[in-house]
Amino acid sequence: MDENASARLARRALTVAHRVGLFLAMLVICLPGIWIVLSSLRPTVEIMAKPPVWIPQQLSFDAYVAMFSGIGKGGIPVLDYFRNSLIISITSTVIAVAIGMAGGYAFARYRFRGKSGMFLGLMLTRTVPGIALSLPLFFLYVRLGIIDTHIGMILAYVALNVPFTIWLIDGFFRQVPKDLAEAAQIDGCTRWQAFWQVEFPLARPGVASAAIFAFLTCWNEFALASQLTRSVSSKTLPVGLLDYTAEFTIDWRGMCALAVVMIIPALTLTYVVQKHLVGGLTSGAVKG
Amino acid sequence: MKGFKPSAPFLLLLPAIIVLAAVVVLPLVLSLYSSFTPFRLTRPESFFVFVGFRNYLSILSNADFWWAFGRTVLLLTIALNLEMLLGLGLAMLVEKATRGQRILRTLMMFPMMFSPILVGFQFKFMFNDNIGLVNNALQSLGITEDAIPWLIEGHLAFIAIAIAEIWSSTSIFAILILAGLLAMPKEPIEAARVDGCTPWQTFRYVTWPFLMPFAYIAMTIRSLDVARAYDIVKIMTDGGPAGRTELLWTLVGRTAYSDARMGLANAMAYFSILLSIAFTVYFYNKLAAARAQIGAEW
Repeated sequence: MDENASARLARRALTVAHRVGLFLAMLVICLPGIWIVLSSLRPTVEIMAKPPVWIPQQLSFDAYVAMFSGIGKGGIPVLDYFRNSLIISITSTVIAVAIGMAGGYAFARYRFRGKSGMFLGLMLTRTVPGIALSLPLFFLYVRLGIIDTHIGMILAYVALNVPFTIWLIDGFFRQVPKDLAEAAQIDGCTRWQAFWQVEFPLARPGVASAAIFAFLTCWNEFALASQLTRSVSSKTLPVGLLDYTAEFTIDWRGMCALAVVMIIPALTLTYVVQKHLVGGLTSGAVKG
Repeated sequence: MKGFKPSAPFLLLLPAIIVLAAVVVLPLVLSLYSSFTPFRLTRPESFFVFVGFRNYLSILSNADFWWAFGRTVLLLTIALNLEMLLGLGLAMLVEKATRGQRILRTLMMFPMMFSPILVGFQFKFMFNDNIGLVNNALQSLGITEDAIPWLIEGHLAFIAIAIAEIWSSTSIFAILILAGLLAMPKEPIEAARVDGCTPWQTFRYVTWPFLMPFAYIAMTIRSLDVARAYDIVKIMTDGGPAGRTELLWTLVGRTAYSDARMGLANAMAYFSILLSIAFTVYFYNKLAAARAQIGAEW
């Protein structure tokens, strides 16, 4: 009886400890983001207040209105940056996924000499730090006259995304049984038809998540963009965020608002894709 | 079928190879060459002067460079180890949760969506000595009287950067390790328990070996872009105060664009590339070994 009671107590204590630990962990994860959103809605006076004002007294969307009403306070053309970011990210994602699908399919379906070496080689091109790659690219782009253009950024981002896209799509095609495409070919499909009618629909969620991952990489990239873009004609949002710090005093509220604008597309897209993404990254882990 | 016909996988991989050759490999060859010249952006003719290993020699005797190099390795070692441990802890906490696991998993992915530049900005904001959340909280709770100069004092700034780095990347480990925990067969754990293993032994000899490949996938992914710390440092301290948080990558950027000494910067960049490659190859090999082990046991 006594032993039972103490065992029950220990179990309950463990449950409570688990709850508390989970709560603290989630607090640490979520608090910074919540704080940014909150700060973007508060007047600057409140952000700067000493002693700090913990409970917001007045909330407004002034920062967002100022940001999107053309060249607002501080003269930062957020709309242009937003447009540049969208154009560059979407175009390079589409191209990278097309290339990645071809490559991923080759890795998933064919045996060829030097396959694993080739795969590692592709990955290694991805490891080159953005800032290291930016030096020769900067020089080349100046020579070719594509510095500070959409084309230049798109080209760089396609190369940045291809290796990882191949990795992900390879994993997804591996999950599609080989027999299906073979059956379709026996029934008279060409290999091309079998791919589009049988294998592609099955791997589509995977391809979609690879696309979203590529999009996010472009959307968030900073090291290359900060050197290869110069002006409004190609600057992306992450580089634009740094514009705020260039001023004499930092406009915290404006920065927070811009941060929220940057995070919203990323948040929605990641939420949509999370399940497939984890599946794709780990698909090869157990089966090898 | 006439004449030479290249194999299908080669044709399929061709676009990827062309793009990567044009945008990554060719520029890298160019930068390798220019690392042997005293090339400055302001003097284009210096591109054709060959100086052999002079840039490399001057790097080897440059104390600032070695400090930055050591600091980078230190940051990566601390960050990767803590990320792994915290990610493991977080994954096990979430796995134990009986209700609301879906929403917990979504929350757990939250930091992954933040771009490094945003992570840097948000921690710059929180660690601001005057208006930051951290100092405000510490002062309101009465833990310190004075504002702690988080980003102004060298060691504290390094710690703040490490915290930002860990915050942003722990979730990658947590998610992949959680995927491993969920995919794990339950029988071996039960068998171990029946055989009288303590919880620690069960974890150490049954659960952990199974999770290993997942942890190494996370490590490999992570080591693919270790250089993202550049973004964080760039916005948080920009290498300051007085170069106390200068990492290899910020040093490369400063040498190339502020000092316009491209040749020297390219030589430094090659050190950073080799560092990244070393990390990636190391974990990739670990991953392959762990996979082989799992294949043999399960």
